[in-house]
Amino acid sequence: MATQSVQLSIQNVSLSFGRVQALSNVSFDVYEGEILAIIGPNGAGKTSLLNCISNFYHPDEGRILFDGHDLTRTPPHRIAQLGIARTFQNLALYTGMTTLENIMAARHIHMRSGMLECIIYWGLAHREDLRHRRVVEEIIDFLELAPVRKTVVGALPHGLRKRVELGRALALEPKLLLLDEPMTGMNQEEKEDMARYILDAHELRNLTIVLIEHDMGLVMDIADRVVVLDFGRKIAEGTPEEIRNNPDVIRAYLGQEEEVFW
Amino acid sequence: MTQPETLPQYWLHNVHRYARQRKVAVRQKELGIWQPYTWDEEYEHVRNFGLGLLELGFQRGERVAIIGDNEKEYLWGALAVMAVGGVVVGIFTDVTPKEVEYVVNHSDATFVLAGDQEQVDKLLAIKEDVPRVRKVIYWDEKGMWHYNDPWLMDFRDVQQLGAEVAAREPDRFPEIIAEGRGDDYAMFCYTSGTTGLPKGVMLTHSNFIYAVKAFGEIDPRFDTDNYVSFIPLAWIGGAALDIAPHAVDAIILNFTEGPETVQQNIREIAPDALLYNSRLWESLVSTIQVRMIDSTWINRFLYRIFLPIGYKVADLEFEKKPVPLHLRFLYALGRVAIFKPLLSQFGLHKARTTYTSGAALSPDVFRFFRALGLPLRQIYGSTEVTGGVVAHRKDDIKFESLGKPLPGADVRISPEGEILLTSPGLFAGYHKNPEATEKAIYVDENGVRWFRTGDAGYLDEDGHLIYLDRMKDMIELASGERYSPQYIEGRLKFSPYISHAMTIGDREKGYVTAMITIDFDNVGRWAEKRGLAYTTYTDLSQKPEVYELIREDVERVNRTLPPAARVRKFVLLHKEFDADEGEMTRTRKLRRRFLAERYADIIQALYSDADSVHIRATVKYRDGREAVIDTTLRIETIGEAG
Repeated sequence: MATQSVQLSIQNVSLSFGRVQALSNVSFDVYEGEILAIIGPNGAGKTSLLNCISNFYHPDEGRILFDGHDLTRTPPHRIAQLGIARTFQNLALYTGMTTLENIMAARHIHMRSGMLECIIYWGLAHREDLRHRRVVEEIIDFLELAPVRKTVVGALPHGLRKRVELGRALALEPKLLLLDEPMTGMNQEEKEDMARYILDAHELRNLTIVLIEHDMGLVMDIADRVVVLDFGRKIAEGTPEEIRNNPDVIRAYLGQEEEVFW
Repeated sequence: MTQPETLPQYWLHNVHRYARQRKVAVRQKELGIWQPYTWDEEYEHVRNFGLGLLELGFQRGERVAIIGDNEKEYLWGALAVMAVGGVVVGIFTDVTPKEVEYVVNHSDATFVLAGDQEQVDKLLAIKEDVPRVRKVIYWDEKGMWHYNDPWLMDFRDVQQLGAEVAAREPDRFPEIIAEGRGDDYAMFCYTSGTTGLPKGVMLTHSNFIYAVKAFGEIDPRFDTDNYVSFIPLAWIGGAALDIAPHAVDAIILNFTEGPETVQQNIREIAPDALLYNSRLWESLVSTIQVRMIDSTWINRFLYRIFLPIGYKVADLEFEKKPVPLHLRFLYALGRVAIFKPLLSQFGLHKARTTYTSGAALSPDVFRFFRALGLPLRQIYGSTEVTGGVVAHRKDDIKFESLGKPLPGADVRISPEGEILLTSPGLFAGYHKNPEATEKAIYVDENGVRWFRTGDAGYLDEDGHLIYLDRMKDMIELASGERYSPQYIEGRLKFSPYISHAMTIGDREKGYVTAMITIDFDNVGRWAEKRGLAYTTYTDLSQKPEVYELIREDVERVNRTLPPAARVRKFVLLHKEFDADEGEMTRTRKLRRRFLAERYADIIQALYSDADSVHIRATVKYRDGREAVIDTTLRIETIGEAG
């Protein structure tokens, strides 16, 4: 997997909040079409790094290159158009809207009709709506969301909302998908289902996926490569097998060398 | 064309009849839209798949297993297999790989149609153990984009092979269909018995055609009818109510998005007929009632006004009495104002025929739906007789019965009390299991073959079949006669005033008695209405008026029972059965042996001349406190006449 071209390049990224050094001098590459997991103890800077990539945060130093674009100089609303989509650790859905509407909302970046055409809703705007609905319905089918298509998201259980959020990210038709703890708060079966969907999406669309996850068993199962952060520093990078046996990683997790539970 | 003999011959007949008419054969909801497929399109799909199978080396008479959800490809695959002379072996989607292996090997299947990745993975897991299977054909490729086992093949690729043959030899497919004979096997339906390995019930085309025609006689089907296909097609119900009537009567089958969306999809389609099991009907009652409570005041108002009228009409019809004109008028008003709109919320407003199967349905549920304008009707049968052979007629519904035999079918009760069935739908035998076949078939003095159902029942004076219990659960009395505790207890519990009942009586005891617990809320409300003062459960249960109330229920149940099985004496217990005390399981099933020991004194009194029994018992309250109950329970004798 690791022989393809670099799609995302994190170069010497540092970020601080006042005295707190969230990230210091982090560098690694993400190759096209791989699943890369970022792991690390709480407060290691995982989400901060994801926020830097999606340009919610602005790094103090360093560059982040995506297909040749410097993301640190790209305004946040352009990020999606470049082909980057993300989901959030704490869900960010329109809870008053249905599953269908939530996913449909993500299609706006692909819509061409202007305001006037939308008001008249004739010709282009109508045809466009149909085309986007089809893409959205394919995602609903893919993620098996048909039973809750018209259910208001606020009424859905947590595991399903996570899936809707993944659906909305996929509706952007991204090249790179950033998943921030896609499986938190799920039981084992829901986690396995989610892993299945992530793998299927990756396989079907040849997506590059960067994910943060705490469940080590699942990370080791689905990731091609793993990057380990600790106190804002990258302490290891490699295949799941290499990471599993890395003494620095074991120390970061347990504070001492010992048999690790994964 | 000569008279059709097989399902594919009937089907081909319909293909010709509807050729170039854009008549819809099936619909499937895909990506949120109901996609129609015409008879012309269906023909191409079935033909191409059938010819494709032949290209892959399929031979007439071979078996093809199908495991997948109800989807158009399942139907087309099944029709194609039967068209080229094959036998369809349905497998339930929720079985384990081990069970798939058993059925595939036992039926000698040479091809397997597996719906999706879940099912394909099961077959990949047992690949080494099913050597006869030449190809596994899937129709939903999701998740399998990188599978590259040459054993697997896409449904569309098989059709591609067949399309090439069809282009070369356009007449080949109809010719193959014409070779079929009525006594060729159409399907093997594997039934999971409660004990032992599943048995493959071999059913012929004639069996299915009879089943379709017999039902057609009591409930005519039309080619404009919409059905929603949600009963598992691997089950005889799906085969006999969906696939076969589609082929013969050209009903429109609508395939849902998935098992989870069935209810929504039924609402969208509003089918002309449907079969739910009794548990589903029961849960629907409370769903409808909740929906009404949450509704607007005007709807609640109309419901309150018209439901009693609905009940009145229902009761008159059940008693087969004429409905007075003014009631009919009011009822018609109620239909328009509230009942139809309410039923449409559940897709039930167009249903002409609504069947219930499985456990007995309480009269309240029958009355409720009849009041809304849905005459539920019981249907009873077995895989071995190609589905239902006994059913209620529209104008002859008896709550406690299963109905009467269909035209051409017959029922009789063996001397042991077992229900025997025969009809032209009677199966040929179990696949590779002559011993089981012999055990299941009874040949009478005229050489007629009957299927032994293993169910106990009897025929009442009107010729209605009454189901009691499984034969093995019947209990023998000292007189040698048998009765069904489940049946009596179940019927007693239909009363709103009875929460539980346990019947007693076995080989040592000459007659049947019952320990009954009253429903505190309902009996309490009843007592308050009559100004009857009471203090506790124990006190209420021992009121002579309450005994009189329950006695009516017991006598009502007794009237439906053969004399030997009637309840002669009963006692109202001083407390409810309690799971915390181990008297019931958590699923609220009685622990009979435990109860028999615990209430030994009462049981002894029920079989003596005593008219009361004194008890001293320790009761544990929910909060952990204990108290001693010291009371006398009355024993009510009904006597032989009751």
